[in-house]
Amino acid sequence: MVPLSWYLVVAFMLVGLGAYGMIVKKNLIRILIGAEIMGNGVNLALVAFAVYGGAFSFTAQGLIILVISVAAAHTALALVLMLMYNRRYGTVDLSIVQKEEVA
Amino acid sequence: MNWKVKMMQDLQPVLDLFEQFEFFLIAALVLALAYLALEHKDIVYAVFFFGFMASAVAGFFLLLDAPYIAGMQIAVYTGGISALIIFGVLLLPRAQDSSLETFATGRVRTMGLILSGVIMAISGGLALIFPWPETIPEGVPEQSQSLQGLAEWLWQDHGVYIQIIALIILTTLVGAVALLKMEKAEAMSSITGEFGVEAKPSPEPEAETEVVDTEETSEEAAN
Repeated sequence: MVPLSWYLVVAFMLVGLGAYGMIVKKNLIRILIGAEIMGNGVNLALVAFAVYGGAFSFTAQGLIILVISVAAAHTALALVLMLMYNRRYGTVDLSIVQKEEVA
Repeated sequence: MNWKVKMMQDLQPVLDLFEQFEFFLIAALVLALAYLALEHKDIVYAVFFFGFMASAVAGFFLLLDAPYIAGMQIAVYTGGISALIIFGVLLLPRAQDSSLETFATGRVRTMGLILSGVIMAISGGLALIFPWPETIPEGVPEQSQSLQGLAEWLWQDHGVYIQIIALIILTTLVGAVALLKMEKAEAMSSITGEFGVEAKPSPEPEAETEVVDTEETSEEAAN
């Protein structure tokens, strides 16, 4: 059987990749994709812990289903905020706000 | 029956090896697709790569004997969230601008690479070093694979909580639509006063009274 730590390493690598996308990118869609990749890593760690910890019960499954559903809702909200940002600034470039703050 | 059990015992190392091979294959696929989703020049392709990555993560769930979660993952992430982001890209044509993919300074990229590398190194190192088997309680693991049991747990035992959570998510979505409508209502002067936007007071009567007052004061000053 594959050890638990291997799953966790992949999960944390996904979290790191998502963090890279969220820090470096200035396109809002890319930042959202980075956040979703981080969410996938967290879900993987959650399922791996539940299965290997001997507690893959209905509680754990219900929790994971809840996390996935909330991820869908927050993606919809994030897209609406992006539309509003686009209406206000005419672009989806996040660096414009950073430049305004500096100025 | 004995020969079957004996054959399974003999084949166990081969099955373990095959499971490890599957793990490495899926891990390589997931990490490569996640990298492509972040770095591919065309954002539409990047969203497709994200959808494929979510499907590959569902492969991990199948490997962990969690088929229902794998189904949820494919239905929501690959089918729902990817399609939602594609719609977002179509509604925001400026998101496809390739100039957004270039970096103003190399410093930001270097800083992001260092920070994410630190996150990966620390958390991955801890995951490898930490003695996980000692923290897991001994005994027969509780594996619940019954879909009917899960449905009863969700809707019979905890139905109220599930409905409350569903209401909260619904409120989020209605709030998102209301945000869009509010901004639209503010932009259109013909429907000002609706959607909770206050109507602007007309300044004309106040201006007339001010003019009369100034005329009276000028007449008094002349006298």
